[in-house]
Amino acid sequence: MALYEGIALIQEKQAVVLDLGTDYTKFGFTGEAAPRCIVRSEFWCPATRRYRRLHDYRSAAELYDNLVHMLHQLYFRHVLVNPKERKVVVVESLLTPTLFRETLAKVLFIHYEVSGVVWADSPRLCALTLGAPAVLVVSIGAKDVEVAAVVHSCVVLHALQSQPLGARAVHAELARLLDEHNGGPLHLDDQVIEDIKVKTCFVTTRERAAQWSSERPPQPARDVRYGRVTVPGRARELAAEPMFQRDHELASLPDAVLQCVAACPRDVRRALAAGVLVTGGGAALPGLRARLAAELRHLVTQAPYRDTLHVREFKFHDAPSAPNACAWLGGAVLGAGEAGAGRVLAREQYAREPRLRDWVCLLDNTPPAHPHRAYLDI
Amino acid sequence: MAYLTQPDYVKYICSCGQLKPITSLYFCRHCLKIRCGFCICHEVDSHYCANCLENMPSSEARLKKNRCSSCFDCPSCFHTLSTRATMAQPRQVVQDPAAGGDTKVESKQPKKMYYLSCFNCRWTSRDVGIPDQPVASGGWPERTNPHAARVNQLLEYYKAIALQEKQEKIERERKKFNIRGKYITLTDKTGLTGAMARNIAGLPSSESSSSAIASFVPSQAKEEVEELPEDIFTKEVNLNQITSMPQRLASPEWQPPSVSRLHPLAKLLSVKRSQRCRACDHNLTKPEYNPGSIKFKIELLAYYHVPEVKIISHEPVKPGGKSALLLKLTNPTGHEMQLRLLQPEDIPPPEEKEEPKSIEKSLERSLNLEKDTSSLKPMEVVCSPTATSRVRAPDATLTLAQRDDAAEYDDDAQHDTNDIIMWRKSNKLALRLEVVTDEGVAGGAPAVAMVALQYSYRNTVPPAAAAAQPRDHTLYTTVLLDLGTVSSN
Repeated sequence: MALYEGIALIQEKQAVVLDLGTDYTKFGFTGEAAPRCIVRSEFWCPATRRYRRLHDYRSAAELYDNLVHMLHQLYFRHVLVNPKERKVVVVESLLTPTLFRETLAKVLFIHYEVSGVVWADSPRLCALTLGAPAVLVVSIGAKDVEVAAVVHSCVVLHALQSQPLGARAVHAELARLLDEHNGGPLHLDDQVIEDIKVKTCFVTTRERAAQWSSERPPQPARDVRYGRVTVPGRARELAAEPMFQRDHELASLPDAVLQCVAACPRDVRRALAAGVLVTGGGAALPGLRARLAAELRHLVTQAPYRDTLHVREFKFHDAPSAPNACAWLGGAVLGAGEAGAGRVLAREQYAREPRLRDWVCLLDNTPPAHPHRAYLDI
Repeated sequence: MAYLTQPDYVKYICSCGQLKPITSLYFCRHCLKIRCGFCICHEVDSHYCANCLENMPSSEARLKKNRCSSCFDCPSCFHTLSTRATMAQPRQVVQDPAAGGDTKVESKQPKKMYYLSCFNCRWTSRDVGIPDQPVASGGWPERTNPHAARVNQLLEYYKAIALQEKQEKIERERKKFNIRGKYITLTDKTGLTGAMARNIAGLPSSESSSSAIASFVPSQAKEEVEELPEDIFTKEVNLNQITSMPQRLASPEWQPPSVSRLHPLAKLLSVKRSQRCRACDHNLTKPEYNPGSIKFKIELLAYYHVPEVKIISHEPVKPGGKSALLLKLTNPTGHEMQLRLLQPEDIPPPEEKEEPKSIEKSLERSLNLEKDTSSLKPMEVVCSPTATSRVRAPDATLTLAQRDDAAEYDDDAQHDTNDIIMWRKSNKLALRLEVVTDEGVAGGAPAVAMVALQYSYRNTVPPAAAAAQPRDHTLYTTVLLDLGTVSSN
């Protein structure tokens, strides 16, 4: 078996899959079940003598520099392959800024001379790891929570929901609760906050969350001594509450999910609700899926959804990977088959016309028979 | 050594526009241009383990997922694990009559058993229940990804779908062809069916691909999700039992949440890199294959080819004033060097010498036009370094002797000094120059002086058989000197 694999590899170099997240970057080979490395999206900058975050940039030139350094580190420190003449599957959010995509394309094609790039959006890739026809992908990233409905490998674009309720929101709330308990600002580093969150925090149940906001709070979970900081039980339970806090704008996580379902065509709503997939690094918080399920089942019987949404059953998928590498795994599956090869943007093609297809661009989303098409093909 | 610890006082402008100290620059002998890490092509040359300094061929490294088979890292603190040996008294096998007599004899003497231990954080492989091994290296149990089977199913399923799509496409095209033409195809005439033909050719039959599709079960969503454990509200949290993010992410396949599930991490290999010039595809550096060696087979560093500029001392820079500047120039090459200081504007633009030599060349070029890759030129950083000061360049050609290692031991400096040359010693030269600063520079701003060098360079590359290239070249480079800050008065 190993011999045949070797022969296949000589014919076509195994492509790499790149997922440049806000906090963590996932990088590895296609056809494998897990990424080779999950590292923080930052690199050592010798000029300033500190780590620099990939997504901290003010101009295109700065971003180009950041990407060159980051990819150099990924290729030569972690995955140890030549970037040249090798295909790349880029896993990206549907809401990636155009500047970022185009700069990344420039870095890959011009600086690293890769032979082709497959641009794939994360909701579809997450759905690909399940093989199910209708999936509601709730991806909880570092910054944003994105809810996208994928029906037969098509994203229902107008139903796409995004709220700034990712890990950063949890970190900010945890920092606030810790400051409150310890009396005064602690100025904890973001990585320390993350460590406290990972080791101690969980998402409390719906009943207890209601009790916490009532007159008589419940018996809190045990306090934890973390170095010189005391992490109170209240902070452990309530750190993830911003995700579920509802206001008049209905911008909480369960609201986003229900709004996404409501915006979808009527005949897939039931199938979508019966196929929810919670992914992203933020989804690893214990109890998050249970709480989301409880909230969804409760909210759907309340006003405004009670009358518009006649879905009562919510079911949850288990992806065949850790939640933080789910979209990456989709990219690895896509890139391994021949299906990925057909969707590749080859280097020659990019050289002829250096632009990327994008779903927001009228050049790409106007059908050929549309009357406006004539004005676009100049 | 001063280069490693000091800030870079003297920076050269690379041919791509980056500013770098001379120690991080390369010099391509074929293009005769300065290159830097940004504008060259890095390549993986060889894999090796940084701990046991064992070379690994790249095909083997690929199969072993770039991991060393005998070295391990601590999963807790990422220090290298050491193998410890203990004398273990094997368990008495008296209770086991089926084992036979000879095992009983063996059990009398203690056996050497090995386990892994971290000298930094005292983690051992016994902590997590990995049995001790009878051999010192290798043989440690390997874990498989819990999702591997499912991922393989997925891969097969999507491969089958892609295959089916392809076949349908071919079928469709054939039908189109059939409608147009009225020829009898070979398969129709001989009664050879498509499945049989496929069987003879050794291709997977269409049934098998459809069976992969048919047997695939999409993921089943479940009503119930894992609830929080009941005791989470009452249980004491032991921080030492929970892994941190770096510990989890060190093994992306498992990401263990508790310390008791940590396994030794096979050490990631390191690579030796070789560098290649993008313009001419020649190697700039190539390391030796032996991992223990830090030498290079090819080492075209700017430090060995480009005259080196060092600042000896300078007077404080005042706006609108003149200040003295003492520079040391060194010729690192084995040939005598003629050197002139210029203003950066005086550098002649590089002349384009593009003449198609033969028909083949021009044909090649016209072919290249088709797959036009002109837009794929590497990005050039157009940096316009702002110099606050100018070096008043003396109108004289300076001669630097070749590098002579024996002359290093000669103490007395030659004193053929004049108003510019302060002293001269084998291949080194100290210059007394004047720096003129602009009137409008604000005090406190960083003072940067710019000067261009024109130097003769003798190319020692054996010339190609046909082309008799000139061996002596006149090259230019621009240097930025950091002169502290502009004083305010």
